[in-house]
Amino acid sequence: MPKIKLQSSDGEIFDVDVEIAKCSVTIKTMLEDLGMDDEEEEIVPLPNVNSAILRKVLQWATFHKDDPPPPEDDENKEKRTDDISSWDADFLKVDQGTLFELILAANYLDIKGLLDVTCKTVANMIKGKAPEEIRKTFNIKNDFTASEEDQVRKENECLFDIF
Amino acid sequence: MEDPTQVLYTELPVPLLSTAALLRHQRQSPRYQPYQRLHQPQLFHNNSVHEEYFRLRTTAYKEQPSPVDQGKTHISCLYPEILSIIFSYLDVRDKGRVAQVCTAWRDAAYQKSVWRGVVAKLHLRRANPSLFTSLVKRGIKKVQVLSLRRSLRDVIQGIPNLESLNSSGCYNITDAGISHAFVAEVSTLTELNLSLCKQVTDSSLGRIAQYVKNLEVLELGGCTHITNTGLLLVGWGFTKLKRLNLRSCWQVSDQGINHLAQGNLALEHLSLQDCQRLSDEALKFATGLTSLKSLNLSFCIGITDSGLKHLARMGTLQELNLRSCDNISDIGMAYLSEGGSRIISLDVSFCDKIGDQALVHISQGLYNLKCLSLSACQISDEGLGKISSTLHELETLNIGQCARITDNGITTLAESLTRLRYIDLYGCTKITTLGLQKVMKLPQLSILNLGLWHIR
Repeated sequence: MPKIKLQSSDGEIFDVDVEIAKCSVTIKTMLEDLGMDDEEEEIVPLPNVNSAILRKVLQWATFHKDDPPPPEDDENKEKRTDDISSWDADFLKVDQGTLFELILAANYLDIKGLLDVTCKTVANMIKGKAPEEIRKTFNIKNDFTASEEDQVRKENECLFDIF
Repeated sequence: MEDPTQVLYTELPVPLLSTAALLRHQRQSPRYQPYQRLHQPQLFHNNSVHEEYFRLRTTAYKEQPSPVDQGKTHISCLYPEILSIIFSYLDVRDKGRVAQVCTAWRDAAYQKSVWRGVVAKLHLRRANPSLFTSLVKRGIKKVQVLSLRRSLRDVIQGIPNLESLNSSGCYNITDAGISHAFVAEVSTLTELNLSLCKQVTDSSLGRIAQYVKNLEVLELGGCTHITNTGLLLVGWGFTKLKRLNLRSCWQVSDQGINHLAQGNLALEHLSLQDCQRLSDEALKFATGLTSLKSLNLSFCIGITDSGLKHLARMGTLQELNLRSCDNISDIGMAYLSEGGSRIISLDVSFCDKIGDQALVHISQGLYNLKCLSLSACQISDEGLGKISSTLHELETLNIGQCARITDNGITTLAESLTRLRYIDLYGCTKITTLGLQKVMKLPQLSILNLGLWHIR
């Protein structure tokens, strides 16, 4: 199987099967646009992904290489977060920082499956929590003015009656 | 059975309880456990990091030092679009809570993508223009009216891009109310549900046909004042209609179906459940609906075997529901399969006159069947043997309350129909653990129902 070299932001080079690398739409387009030949030993620089994260991303992509393409978003279908496979759930037992970096990498590399499952994981961390609990969970500062906070609370409480 | 834990039981015989305990254990333990916070997040909002990321993302392929050290990335590094993706997975209550966390989250929570597909459920009591502003701001295009004391006009005018309006069960909607609400073209509206709006008559259909040209789904179940004239208006007025539900519209008769067929519809789904005045003649007219994919005739006691001759000729028909059609018998199944029907889903549950002979006919022609429902039919092992030998596509089989079926029938079935995924055996009292063990060996099985309620 043809290989490709990916270079992480901290300079590490990864030798990867082209088919696995192409689960990233960004890399796939790059290869097509630049007409990179399989024969040439070109190195694809990925300045936004460090080696630790790239290693995880490739681990994920290798496990999921035979997955069917993720379905298009259907707005009539209820979005679920309880359908994370047990492999993915284990794979994502990481600290928050790593999780967010995986999200950023999945977004940058355009890997829909990984972006979906990481976003679902964060959604699961938010579900059922009050605003203050959410702030604590993610170490977020409340930057509302008193009147803004009052307004946003009123508007959203009124919405609870509607949906 | 490759992986027994993949099968969902809805009720279990005692000998299989060990597997059940395993299942229960797996289902109760959370698939996802909260993270331990292994890293120390950096202090709030590192804007430079955020901007650096954004810049890098837009100037791709150039080598740059990593802007973020691993283990220090804070949630504020996620772009608003990513926050919006995360929020789109939350239910409405949680969407409302994240908006109260901080200003960045509030702004991300108001993105329309977060609210895609969400249905606003309203009690229309007093005038409340700010409500509609708030809905429009979020891009809400689907409304369910739970009750109303005001006109539907508030909704139609308050939400200019309305796509779906469900006022099912709003018994106080009248023709006058409808004509007050629809006064100009509502070109975005594609789904309208007026089920159980019992005061609505044909004149409302005329009004709606005039102003809602792009309607694709119309639900009129239980609108008992609708007559054949109304169906004439439907047939000519809604050229894009794909789905029509006329459940329990008792005044509709054969001529009404003729009106539908003569019109310029491309109807794909038609439900005539419990339309008691329909006869076989209606099915003859129905053959004029040349795009029809699914037809529901359940509880239509006026339909007999000869009517099915007409349906057998409909090449597009994929799904046929004849549940509780008391006058359908074995002969009807012969007409269907000999007539060359290519249906993939058939429901003849609770048809008392359906027995083993029907299964002989089905097994000799309806080879495309993926879903077959025979609950409470007079069938036995012999009949099951017939379908086992030819219906190789079958994925769903409902044979609940077929009390004559024994382990023998089930064994034949389980050995031949290897694509089966769903089986309902509720109330099959002669089947023992022996038979169930055979069923459990089916490679694709995902749901085996043994209880009264079919849980999916």
